[in-house]
Amino acid sequence: MSAIADDERTYDVVIVGAGFAGGILAKELVSAGHSVLILEAGEDHGKTWETYRSYLDQYYLSLAKTPNSPYPNLPTLPSPSVLDITAVRGTEPDTNGYFVQRGPLPFGSNYLMAFGGTSLHWLGTSLRMMPADFEMQSRFGKGVDWPFGYQDLRADYERAEWEIGVSADADEQTPKALGIRTSGRHDNVGYFDKEYDYPMHSIPSSYVDGFFAKADGMPIEIGEDATSTVHLKVSRTPQGRNSTPRTPKTAKGIQVGEKRRQQFRPRGATGPFAYMGQRCEGNSSCIPICPIQAKYNAMKTLEDAKHKAKHQMETITQAIASKVELTESGRVSGIVYKKYPFPGVPQHELRRARGKQYVLAGGAVENVTLALASGICTSSDELGRNLMDHPYMMTWGAAPEPVGPFRGPGSTSSYANFRDGNFRNKNAAFRLEIGNWGWNFAAGSPNSDVARLVEQDNLYGTALRDKLYHDVQRQVRIGTMVEQLPRATNRVTIDPAYRTPMGEYRPVISYDLDDYSRAGLAAANDTCAQIFQRLGIKNHTSYSPSDAGYLTYDGKGYTFFGAGHLVGTHRIGTDRHNSVTNDEMRAWDHDNLWLVGAGSMPTIATSNPTLTMSAMAFRAARAIQKAVRKGGAK
Amino acid sequence: MGIAMKTHDDTPEFQAFLTVSAALTGYSSAELQGTGCAGEYWHQFRQVLPAEILEEFLSHSHELGKQDDDRIMRQTYLSDKCLGPLSRTLIQLWYTGQWVPLSQEWRESYGASRFDVVKIISTRSYKEGLVWDAIGAHPQGAKRQGFGAWGLEPPKQRGAGK
Repeated sequence: MSAIADDERTYDVVIVGAGFAGGILAKELVSAGHSVLILEAGEDHGKTWETYRSYLDQYYLSLAKTPNSPYPNLPTLPSPSVLDITAVRGTEPDTNGYFVQRGPLPFGSNYLMAFGGTSLHWLGTSLRMMPADFEMQSRFGKGVDWPFGYQDLRADYERAEWEIGVSADADEQTPKALGIRTSGRHDNVGYFDKEYDYPMHSIPSSYVDGFFAKADGMPIEIGEDATSTVHLKVSRTPQGRNSTPRTPKTAKGIQVGEKRRQQFRPRGATGPFAYMGQRCEGNSSCIPICPIQAKYNAMKTLEDAKHKAKHQMETITQAIASKVELTESGRVSGIVYKKYPFPGVPQHELRRARGKQYVLAGGAVENVTLALASGICTSSDELGRNLMDHPYMMTWGAAPEPVGPFRGPGSTSSYANFRDGNFRNKNAAFRLEIGNWGWNFAAGSPNSDVARLVEQDNLYGTALRDKLYHDVQRQVRIGTMVEQLPRATNRVTIDPAYRTPMGEYRPVISYDLDDYSRAGLAAANDTCAQIFQRLGIKNHTSYSPSDAGYLTYDGKGYTFFGAGHLVGTHRIGTDRHNSVTNDEMRAWDHDNLWLVGAGSMPTIATSNPTLTMSAMAFRAARAIQKAVRKGGAK
Repeated sequence: MGIAMKTHDDTPEFQAFLTVSAALTGYSSAELQGTGCAGEYWHQFRQVLPAEILEEFLSHSHELGKQDDDRIMRQTYLSDKCLGPLSRTLIQLWYTGQWVPLSQEWRESYGASRFDVVKIISTRSYKEGLVWDAIGAHPQGAKRQGFGAWGLEPPKQRGAGK
C-alpha cells in the first residue's frame, strides 16, 4: 500500500466536481471570501482555445455525432455513452458500457466527466418548475412533496437565470401564458416577481416553430375531466444561450434576488478568445458542442470564480475523488483522490484534500457511487434510490411544405400545455419539444437520407439533389419528455465485481418505467398524432420491439431514450428517515458534508433539471457560507 | 486546418475524375473544385482502386456532355457490377465527406485495399459535404448563418424555375 500524501493547504470548502453545481458553489463561496478547492476527475477543456477547437474537430470527424463524441473518453475514466445502450435480457446485467445495467429497462442517459461537466453538451433549456411540481403528494397523491415550495425557490431561480444568462421574456413564461391549466387555482399568481425579468430577450422562434404554430388553439382532451381540455400553443423556450441583453425599464435596474442588477453583459468563450461567442450565431450543433460558446457552460462560472479571487480558488483536474473519510464522530476529515498525470494511463498518486466543509457535486450518479464506496449517508437507506430521468420519445414525420430544418438551436419552442393539470392524478405530465434539426436524432438525417436515396432509390445527379431538398426540407420531429415518479427500486448501487481500470466502482443501475409514466407517454403519443393530423404531417414514426428502449402500454408499443436528466438519487427532505440531506442539502448523517446537484431533487416533473439544480446550488451556497463562518458546528 | 495537398491538378485523369463526379452529383466541376476537397477525394479514390479499374472508371468521361448522359450514367456506371458500387460510394463521398466501404463481394472480385475503410476524410470534407447545400441548410457546427437566421423562410430549391 502506498501512503496517502496530504495536500498542504486546508480549504474552507472542498468541492468534488466542476460542473453546473460546482461552478456556482465555487463562485458564490469565493465571492463571500472563502477558499475553495475543486477536485475534477476529468481533463480541463477550458485552458486554451486550441483545446476547445480540437474538440470541434473531433466532432466533425466523428462518425456517430453523439453528445459525448467531441470529448475525450478515457479508458481509465469512462463516461456513459448513448452508443452503449442495449436491451437488458435474461438474468445477467448488461455490461457493454460504463454503466452496469440490471434493467428491466436500460437507463438511456449519459453525462460527461470533464472540467465543465455535462454543461459542455447540454442543449441549454432553462425551465423553472411549476408550483404543483413541489406538491405532487398533496395535490395528486403521487410521489413526494418537496420540503419547500415554488415561492421559496423563486429568488434562487432569478439568481440562476442571471448566472447562466437565460434568454426569455417573463410575460411569455407564466403558466397562463404557456397555456397551462394549472392544478392549483393560484399557481399563476406571483410566478415571477413584478420587478423581475430575464437577463436577455427570447431567442427568436424558428421557421419550424411557425409551422407548428398553425395548430395553435386546437383543443386537446387530456385526462377524463372536461375541465382539463387544453388549447394547443407553441411557446418559446427559455434558453441558456446569448441573445440580446434586455435594457432595464428604469435606471434602478432589474431586481434579481435581493440585488438590483444593471444590464446583463453576455460572456463569450473562455480562454484567450473571450471576445467570441457573444451571441448565438446559429451553428446548429448545441448538442454536442457550441463552437463559439454562445451557449452557457460551467467553465464560464468557474472562470468568473478564478477572477474574483485568484488565491482563494484552486482547481485540480485529473483528480478522481475515491473515498470520503470520516472521523469517529462522523464528520468528514478528508477526501482521498487519485491524481493521474497522463490521461488514459491508470498510474496515479493517492492524495488527500482537506477542508472545513465538503461538497459532493459530481452529478446524481457519481455522487452516489462515491458515497456508497465510502460507506457514508447510510441511515435513511434512500441514497442511490429514486433515480429519475425524462423518458424521451420521438415522433417524426413529413410536413406538406418546406419548413427549413437544420438551422439554429436544437429546439427553440415547445408545447408546454401539458406540464400541469388535474390529469396528473392519473397520468404523468409531459412537454412536447419541437425539434429544429429534422430527423437528425430520430433517424440520423441528413446522412441517412443520402444513403437511402443513393443505395435504395438509385438516384444520382440533380435528381438526387432535388429529392434531398424535397425530403429533408419537410422533416419535422417532436420530442416527448414525460415525468417520472420517485421509486425506491429505480436505483444506483455498487458491486465489487464491477470496477473501472482505476479501481473505482462502476454504477450498477436498476431502472423501469411505471404505469404512470407509460400512461403519460401514451397520452403524448395520441396528442402528437392529433397534431400531425391537424397539420397534414405524414407520420414516419416507427417503434420496433428490437429497439433497446422498447416498452408496451395498454397493448401498444413505444420506444424511449434517455434525456440526460439524471435526478433524485440523494434527495432533500424533511427528516433523516425520508431523505439523504436536509432542505439546504446538508447530509443528515455528516455535519460538514453536502450533496448538491440534480440528485437533490425529490421529483423531476417536466422541466429540464439544470435551472432548478442551479437555483438549489445558490440555496446550498448560502447555508455552506453560514456553516464555514460558524466553524462547522451546528 | 490547412490541407497541404496540391490543389491545382491539370492531369487528364483528374479532369476526368471531376467530369464523372459532376455527372454523379449534379454539381458542376467548378462547384466541386470550390469545395477544396477534390484533391483529397481523388487521392482517396486512387488509394482504393486497382489501376485498371481506375482507368476503366475514367475512360468513359469523354462520352459525357454530348447527349444521352443519363443512359451512359445508368448503363455504364450505376448498373455495372464493378463501377456501380464505386459510383455510389463516390456520390456519398461528395455529399457527406465520408468514405463508404465497398462490399465484401466487390473486394473479392476486384481487389481489397487497406484504405477502403469507413471514415470522414477530413474536417474540411465534413463541412463541405454537398448534402448541406442540397437541403438548404449549413453544416451543423460550421458555416453559421447568423443570429435569428433560423426564423427566416428557407431557401427555395436550387434550379427551381430554371
